[in-house]
Amino acid sequence: MKYLMVLACAVIVTSTAFAADHGPVFSYATPVNSEREFSFDTGIFGRYGSQGTQLSTGSGFGYGVTPHITVNAFLPASFGSGNLPESRIISGSEWSAGASWRFLHSVTSVGKRIESTASLVLVVPGPQQESGLLGSLLRAPGVAGTLATGLASRSQYVWVGAGYTRFAEASNDKRPETLSWSAVYGYRPSRLRRGYDQWDYRGFAELTGEHTGAVLRNGLTVPDSSSTTVWLGPSVLAIFKNIAIEGGVQGPLFRDVSESVYGRERVRFAVNLSYLKYSSHSSH
Amino acid sequence: MKKILAVGFLTLSTLAAHAEYEQVNLTVFGMDCAPCAHAIHVSMKGIQGVNTVDVDLNTGLVSIKLMPGNSAAMRQFNEAVEKNGFTHKDANVVVRGELSGSAQAPFLDVTGTKDRYALAPLTSGTDISGLLGKTVLIDGMLPQTGKGKVSETLRYKSVTEAQ
Repeated sequence: MKYLMVLACAVIVTSTAFAADHGPVFSYATPVNSEREFSFDTGIFGRYGSQGTQLSTGSGFGYGVTPHITVNAFLPASFGSGNLPESRIISGSEWSAGASWRFLHSVTSVGKRIESTASLVLVVPGPQQESGLLGSLLRAPGVAGTLATGLASRSQYVWVGAGYTRFAEASNDKRPETLSWSAVYGYRPSRLRRGYDQWDYRGFAELTGEHTGAVLRNGLTVPDSSSTTVWLGPSVLAIFKNIAIEGGVQGPLFRDVSESVYGRERVRFAVNLSYLKYSSHSSH
Repeated sequence: MKKILAVGFLTLSTLAAHAEYEQVNLTVFGMDCAPCAHAIHVSMKGIQGVNTVDVDLNTGLVSIKLMPGNSAAMRQFNEAVEKNGFTHKDANVVVRGELSGSAQAPFLDVTGTKDRYALAPLTSGTDISGLLGKTVLIDGMLPQTGKGKVSETLRYKSVTEAQ
């Protein structure tokens, strides 16, 4: 009942689907906040294409309600004029809020965990208008659900995840449904498995993919407006105690996108800064 | 003057009978990165009476040294681990307390806390009956327990009369 109430409250507020904190920068992952931990993320995310560049910056907030439930919100601001397909991997201008629930948590040995996390997020249009085809639509709120599972250890990380976002219709306009997925492998070399009072580095190879459905405008489906893309690239995460900096870049492995509708997207990049405020509260 | 002396005597008596954890070495599973260790460090330092905390990510060992006269309870150390999403395993402790019960079924009461342990030797052949009723210093091990629980048994390596 407590979990349901937390989820319900979170959905009323908002949620996010972007990966940050101290995991990979593009992909879905399982970590959630500690109980009473407050996290703050800010970053810049970019998509460069033949019809302009779309940049977004934003702030994400998270709070650990329990050791396994985190409520979060993400408030981005976008700028640039790219005409690009919908993406839930790289945030646009939608504000979001929701909750993440780590429903499986198996600690197998020193430094090793196998866990699964589900998130439910309410996505609402922000005050900014998007550019390109998506910018011509009237916008309505949507709901995003994600699921990630994987392993974290001192040496290696493996996560796979998927997300689905569906928007409501607004006066015969409708943003496309989006199915996103990711697989990430991370490695920390033995010489970098150091004490916690030193910088902690790890590298990731991130594979992400998205399929977006057709755009509905004035009650009619826009021809060739669905898209499928797959992206691959490296990212690096550096952490010192409670501050994390991460950056990554991805290039396309596969693109099935009509260039008569959207620009040809060539590069995605992200830089994210996290601050984690842990609680020293202790019961007596 | 008599009242002051009486209060002073009572205070000293209380201190003499006061017992506490002096050191707790807790093995924690699930910490993979620096923020995990930092979270444990912050949580442990938030427990009143904790002096120093050292976290070794590669062994999972969390070493806590406490100040004299503290009233920290074992439950608080376990909760500090659990609230960060990790799992506590065995804990090695150095604890001061009063030995009670009988030679066959001795107990340790950690005064200043509600912690009470049934004592069992880690190795056979240790006779502690001569210390019953005295304040002792015990070096022992608390076996792993489930979430929200503290072991009821302290398996001791050594028991010495406290100075």
